[in-house]
Amino acid sequence: MTAAVKRRSRRPKGLTAHIVLGLAVLISVFPFVWTVVMATNTTEDIYKSPPKLTFGSHLLENVRHVFDTIDFFGSMLNTLVVACVTTVLVLFIDSLAAFTFAKFDFPGRRVLFAMLVGFMMLPLQLAVLPQFILMSDIGWVGTLKALVLPALANAFGIFWLRQYIHNGVPDELLDAARIDGAGFFRQYWNIVLPMIRPALSFLAIYAFVGAWNDYIWPLVVLTDPGHLTLQVALAQLHVGHTTDYSMVMAGVLMASVPLVVVFTLFARGFIAGATEGAVQGT
Amino acid sequence: MSSPPVTGPAAVPRHHGGPGPARLRPRRTPPAGAVRPRRRGVLAHWRQYLAISPFFLIFGAFSFFPVFYSLYLAFQRWDGMGTVQFVGFQQFRFLWDDPVFWMSIRNTLVIWVLSTVPTLFGALVLATLLHSVRRFRGFYRIALYIPNVTSIVAVSIFFGAVFSNNFGLVNAILGTVGISPVPWLSNPWLIKLVIALLMTWMWTGYNMIIYLAGLQAIPTQIYEAARLDGAGPIRTFFQITMPIMRPIILFTVVISTINGLQSFSEPQVLFGSNAANPNLGGPGQAGLTTLLYFYQSAFVNNDYGYGAAIVWAFFVLIMVLVVVNWRVVQRGRKS
Amino acid sequence: MDLSRRGFLQAAALTAAASGLTVACGSGSGSAGSKNGKNLTLWYWGGALSDKVVAEAKTHFSKDVKLTVASIGGDFKSKLTTTLAAGTSVPDITGIKGEDMASFLPNAGRFLDLNDLGFKDISSQYLDWKTKLARTEDGKQIGFPIDIGPTALFYRADLFDKAGLPTDPDKVAERAGTWEDYFALGTELKKQVPGTYLVNNIGSVFNMAVGQGTERFIDRDNHFIGDQDHIRKAWTTAVRPYTLGLDAKINDNSWNAAVGKSLSTELGAAWHALDIEQAAPKTKGKWRVCAMPGGPANQGGSYLALPKQCRNPEEAFKIISWILSPKNDARGFADAAIFPAAPAAYSDPAMTGGDPFFGGQKIIDVFGPAAKSIPAAYEAPADAAVMAPFMTELTNIEAKGKKPDAAWHDAVGQAKQIARRQGVS
Repeated sequence: MTAAVKRRSRRPKGLTAHIVLGLAVLISVFPFVWTVVMATNTTEDIYKSPPKLTFGSHLLENVRHVFDTIDFFGSMLNTLVVACVTTVLVLFIDSLAAFTFAKFDFPGRRVLFAMLVGFMMLPLQLAVLPQFILMSDIGWVGTLKALVLPALANAFGIFWLRQYIHNGVPDELLDAARIDGAGFFRQYWNIVLPMIRPALSFLAIYAFVGAWNDYIWPLVVLTDPGHLTLQVALAQLHVGHTTDYSMVMAGVLMASVPLVVVFTLFARGFIAGATEGAVQGT
Repeated sequence: MSSPPVTGPAAVPRHHGGPGPARLRPRRTPPAGAVRPRRRGVLAHWRQYLAISPFFLIFGAFSFFPVFYSLYLAFQRWDGMGTVQFVGFQQFRFLWDDPVFWMSIRNTLVIWVLSTVPTLFGALVLATLLHSVRRFRGFYRIALYIPNVTSIVAVSIFFGAVFSNNFGLVNAILGTVGISPVPWLSNPWLIKLVIALLMTWMWTGYNMIIYLAGLQAIPTQIYEAARLDGAGPIRTFFQITMPIMRPIILFTVVISTINGLQSFSEPQVLFGSNAANPNLGGPGQAGLTTLLYFYQSAFVNNDYGYGAAIVWAFFVLIMVLVVVNWRVVQRGRKS
Repeated sequence: MDLSRRGFLQAAALTAAASGLTVACGSGSGSAGSKNGKNLTLWYWGGALSDKVVAEAKTHFSKDVKLTVASIGGDFKSKLTTTLAAGTSVPDITGIKGEDMASFLPNAGRFLDLNDLGFKDISSQYLDWKTKLARTEDGKQIGFPIDIGPTALFYRADLFDKAGLPTDPDKVAERAGTWEDYFALGTELKKQVPGTYLVNNIGSVFNMAVGQGTERFIDRDNHFIGDQDHIRKAWTTAVRPYTLGLDAKINDNSWNAAVGKSLSTELGAAWHALDIEQAAPKTKGKWRVCAMPGGPANQGGSYLALPKQCRNPEEAFKIISWILSPKNDARGFADAAIFPAAPAAYSDPAMTGGDPFFGGQKIIDVFGPAAKSIPAAYEAPADAAVMAPFMTELTNIEAKGKKPDAAWHDAVGQAKQIARRQGVS
């Protein structure tokens, strides 16, 4: 009887769940489809009312316009460099600090960690102005260094990894390693890093996406038009009274697709980092 | 393994909602390094200090110091190029009398509420549903997270096109069912709604993933027991899922608050093409968030001191709100 | 200022240096050395100069210097300000928008005095009122005028014809001699051709009406005068089309979509022709231009300037005076609707031809006389910032249906406050 009740109650519920989730997926993905529609048509088609709803054949033309208007590949390369360097360094700095906070006791540890958590609450917009003055005083305005360095101080990453290491890396393992003669850094490198890989991949995507999509700081600090990031270049496409929408949309498409592809490729590890990895302790 | 079931990100919120340093350390783990006698004091831990130093030094130089330097700027008048002039509290007096500043705070708060509530609610519903299904799980997770990897600039341009008063898709669809065009981007409330929709679209998937992690960490035995007691799915949700999820929900509320109150790019890009009034947040300044007002004052009007005053006043205000809110929550918990 | 900044730098450098970061305590600008550099950069924004003339300038001067050109999108002024403040990667030649010029004048020290480089010998070739706006009170010339923005009334001859109104520019100008006449014409037009609007938004009317006067928001003695009659009158004029129902209330990105359809007239500067042409290519031949109701104003029109860091002032000045010679300036008109600031160009064949977009009309006949009779008004550094609340309140009328009198009251209140903040008494 319980089995019968279970089956009866589960079927419609499962179906409803799939319908709701399916709708949510449609809403999530629709903008990408619609962006493609706009990017493959002409601006006139977009301005038509009702607008054209089907794919057009003007993609190449629009893409060419994008290339004519902004240095697309240059800014893409800049963004890629900034995002990659930032991600790698953040992973290293944060995991090392997280390991230290999670597994060692040293004078001042509590205070330092409390400060770190407090930092998470500071609105960094406050820093934009003086950061800019600082950058200009040390002559970094307009350089990619100016984008990477401030992004390296990622309090969230340390906080998050610390929890993971604290609960996910058994002390016994570290004790055993120490008895075998492994020093601080070798414990970190040989034991901790491999064990927290799922958490790292979550943080990696988080940091990479954050660096890729950062907007206000690059907008302010990148004064040299040869050194723009993709987001700033994209915003420049969209300026002025007369907006060539199909061209802008082609730019939006080209700027978003790489990230979506990278994400989908690494999504397995990323999702695992956020979910399955979280329950490996059970 | 002996470690508690909830680890990793799911454990984050447990300490996040805490009042401060005293509760930051959950319990005294016997840290591996502490086995050694502490006779050499601080110096013995040079490796540990070295390991955490990059963060603190970089943060100190590029974030902490600038943040407090901006406090100094808030007491000056400076056009960004000429001389700096000390003006005392004048900027804050101006701020007090500036209706645009107060409006920008109202705008920010309205947009924040309009976006956070549906985002978190939708994320919780989706996570619960996703937790209950068996097929296509991986697909759903990826597809629903994708909005979060797109850039705010791209999404803002997209929303601007779709909700355009004259040629937008939304009005075209409404038109086919006989509804006259809705002024999405010129009515003050609709402007806020569009910005909130945009943020909801971007952040629902992200929060869903975090909730999902929490849900998966709840041992299935608890649910088995509840079912044996005859609890239905709704009761199970409110009596078991919600209490266990409470810290995680608090965590997402905090993160959403930080994100939501810092909205800037959305209205900036959405209305940046308005040649007559760029950076003003659209018609009626309905999309003028506090950070956008800061940007406009500092970088457009070259009034850097006033810009710094805006952000600091905003920060203090938010802190007051948070503390009051927290006190209320604490009192509610005691009684 | 320098003291506190140095202190700030030292403290920050100490923090950073401890971590082993190589903080290069640079001298700010690396270009302090010789002043005969072979590489020059030029910053402008899309449509500020004729791309063809700029390309020719590159080859023309290629034996002496290498000219690198960068078209900057986005917020040109804030980009330039921050770069100048930073003192690094400063362009050798830069464009400055006309509406921003006033706010750069207090920091004229950041630029070279063009008079020292020979501008005073050729300045008589350029419209005096335009040149003066880029000159400090003590006679330092920081901007070399590129173009001006004489305004006119653009109108759809086909719609006028449909409404049984005259379509000939002279006749239309006669019928729309004053703002009231113009609005009466609009009322007629709307009756005959329903669904069309006379103006895209009332902010544009206000902008024009203010520009027709000889005073703006702040006077020479640095007093706020934005609450006085001349502004009030412009405001009342601007609100008229709204009350008459002639206002399309376009304040978002849909101007492009509307311009080929529901807008029967446009108030705009000479360069606005290009906007219309790009937004509504299908309406080619249907537009005409005539004198603006109530007389011409100026809108926009830019300058070239040489920042102090310029690596080769002599050569840079040669380049800009070549690009902006009346002859080359005239070509900008055909290429990018850039209306020259040098009257000699107006008789150049490049400008006297008929424009097919305007049905072959010789539009110089409208803009030429307008250019010469633009009233010269003093524009204070804070003028743009003080004007902003008026524009905002006008959109409030359109978007929220706010009562015009309440809007005026709020606009003046906010403008006064911004003025105080900016040090205006």
